[in-house]
Amino acid sequence: MQRIAIEPRAHWRDYAESVGFNFHTIDHKPYWDETAYYQFSLQQIEHDLETPTEELHAMAIDLVADIIKDEQKLQQLGIPENFWNYLASTWTKGDPYLYGRMDFVYDGNGPAKLLELNYDTPTALFETGFFQWIWLEEQRQQGKLPHGADQFNSLQDKLEHAFREINFPQPFYFSSVAKHSEDKGTVSYLMDIAHQTGMDVRYIAIEDIGEADGQFVDLGGYPIQGLFKLYPWEFLIHEDFSAVIKTSNTVWLEPSWKLLLSNKGILPLLWEKYPNHPNLLPSFFETSSSEPLTAGWVRKPLFSREGANIELITDAGERLHVPGPYDDAKYIRQVLQPLPRFGESYTLIGSWVVRDEAAGICIREDDSLITKNSSRFVPHIILD
Amino acid sequence: MKRSKKVTLLLMAPLASLILTGCAEQPVDALVFNNPDECASASSLSPEQCKADYEQAKKVSATVAPKYADKSACEADFGVGKCETAPATQQQSSGSGFFMPMMMGYMMGKMFNSGGVGGGNMRGNFAPEPLYKSRDDSSTFRTANNAPVSRNTGLVSVKPSMTRTQATSSVTRRGGFGAQAAARSSMTGG
Repeated sequence: MQRIAIEPRAHWRDYAESVGFNFHTIDHKPYWDETAYYQFSLQQIEHDLETPTEELHAMAIDLVADIIKDEQKLQQLGIPENFWNYLASTWTKGDPYLYGRMDFVYDGNGPAKLLELNYDTPTALFETGFFQWIWLEEQRQQGKLPHGADQFNSLQDKLEHAFREINFPQPFYFSSVAKHSEDKGTVSYLMDIAHQTGMDVRYIAIEDIGEADGQFVDLGGYPIQGLFKLYPWEFLIHEDFSAVIKTSNTVWLEPSWKLLLSNKGILPLLWEKYPNHPNLLPSFFETSSSEPLTAGWVRKPLFSREGANIELITDAGERLHVPGPYDDAKYIRQVLQPLPRFGESYTLIGSWVVRDEAAGICIREDDSLITKNSSRFVPHIILD
Repeated sequence: MKRSKKVTLLLMAPLASLILTGCAEQPVDALVFNNPDECASASSLSPEQCKADYEQAKKVSATVAPKYADKSACEADFGVGKCETAPATQQQSSGSGFFMPMMMGYMMGKMFNSGGVGGGNMRGNFAPEPLYKSRDDSSTFRTANNAPVSRNTGLVSVKPSMTRTQATSSVTRRGGFGAQAAARSSMTGG
C-alpha cells in the first residue's frame, strides 16, 4: 500500500459538475482529491480487506439475531423500549437490506482493524462507485496509469444486481434532507441505478413526507409503500411521525434493525462475542464507574456521524476532540489504533458491503487522526 | 477484475436524461381482478396473496377514492347502491361524514418472476390499487382518478402513470420528519 502523486485530469471539475457532483470542493477545500492515489496489491485487497469485510459482516448480522431477543443488550444500545417489537418484526419478516460501509485502520500490513459500522446511512457512494471508476478509466486511457491497473470497486454492478433481485414495492421512493447536497449525491446515484433496472423511482424530501390514515404519503397523497431514506433511524424514532412508523405498511430501506449495527454499541458487543478476533479492537460500554479517559483510548457516542463528538488521547498523551451535536447519548470506549500516516495525511479505508458481499473500498484522508465529513476522498488502484 | 464491468448514469447525466424524457411512456403489465376468488383461480398467485392484495387495495381505496358530501351526488356518478360511507380518518372520532364509491375490482403488478404471466412489456411491480366503475360506463374499470384501465380482468397493459393514483381528498399531516437534522444542523449521512 503506497500513496503516489499523479497529475489530476485537466477537466475533472467540469465533468464532476456535469454529472451532479457539485460538492467536490467543500468550503474552498478539496473533497475529491486526485492529486494522488493509493496503490494496493491484489493480495492486500483480497486477503486483508475483502475477506475480513465479509467475515465481519456475517458476524454482525448474526449478532442482530442475538440482540433483538436480549433486553439488556437493547438497553445498552439505547433503543427505546417502545420500538423493540417493531425492530424485531422487521428482522423476523426478513425486510430487505441493501448496503453498508465498515471503516478500517489499515496500513498495508497486518490485520485491518474495524473502527465502526456505517450500516444505516452511509454516504460517499457516488464518489466510490462512479467517480473513482471513471478516474481510473480515464487515467488508463491517457496512459498515466498502467493498462493492467484495476480497482476494488464493484459497487455499481452489485447495487444494480440487488435492485434487480429484490422485489421492492413500486413506485419506490428515495428520501433525504433536501438541503444536504452530499446526501443527495448518494441518493441520486442509488435512484439512477434503480431506474436503470426498470424500477419506478421517485424522490421526496424527508421533510415533505406526509401522514394520512396511519400511512406515509407523498406530496400527492399517494401511500408510500417503499422508501429508501438517507436519514438516521435514531432520528426517525424520536420525531413527530415516530408512531406512524408502526402503523404504516411502508417497507424501509435500510430496515429499522440497522439501528443496532450503525450503533457504536455494536463494537463492545462484537468484542464480547468474538474476543481477540484479529480484525476487532477491544471495546467496552462506558458506565458511571468508568475511569476518566486515558492515553491510548477513544471515546465515541453510541450515535454520531462524521467524527462528531469523538474524543481520543494518543499514546503520547495528546488529547483530540471533535465537537458536535451528538452529546445526548451514552458512550463506548475503544482501544486507540491510530490511523496510518502517508505523508501529511492520516488515512482511513471504507469497505463497502452490498447485501452480504464486499463491494469495494474508498479512501479518506484527513490532517488529523479523526476522519470527518470534510476529509478528502482519494482514489485507489490495484497493481501487482 | 475487481471493479464493475461498466458504470452508466441515466438520470444524473443531463444529456442522457434529455433523451430519456423524449421517450413515450412504455406500458407495463398489470393484473386486474373483480375479487380475490377470481384472482386465486385465474392466476398463479396463492389465495392468501390474492386476499392480502385485495385487502391492501381496500385500504388504499379509503384514502384515494373520490369523496362526496352527500350520497346522492356519489350515486349520480357511480350508480344507485354503489356508494358507501367513507371510513373515519385517525383524526376523526366518529364517521367521516363523506361518501365514496365501492371498490369494484383491483389491479396490481406482480410480474417480477420470469415464469409468471407477464407479456413482453416492462415488468410491472406495483402496489395493489382499487378500481371503480362509473354509472355511465359500467363495463370499464377505472382508477380513482377516472382513468380507464380495462374492460377485462386478467392480464392487461397500462401506462405506469395509471399505477399510482393521486389522492383526491384526505387529511394529511406533514413535516413530522426532519426536525433532528435541522436541530443538529449536521450531515445526516456518514
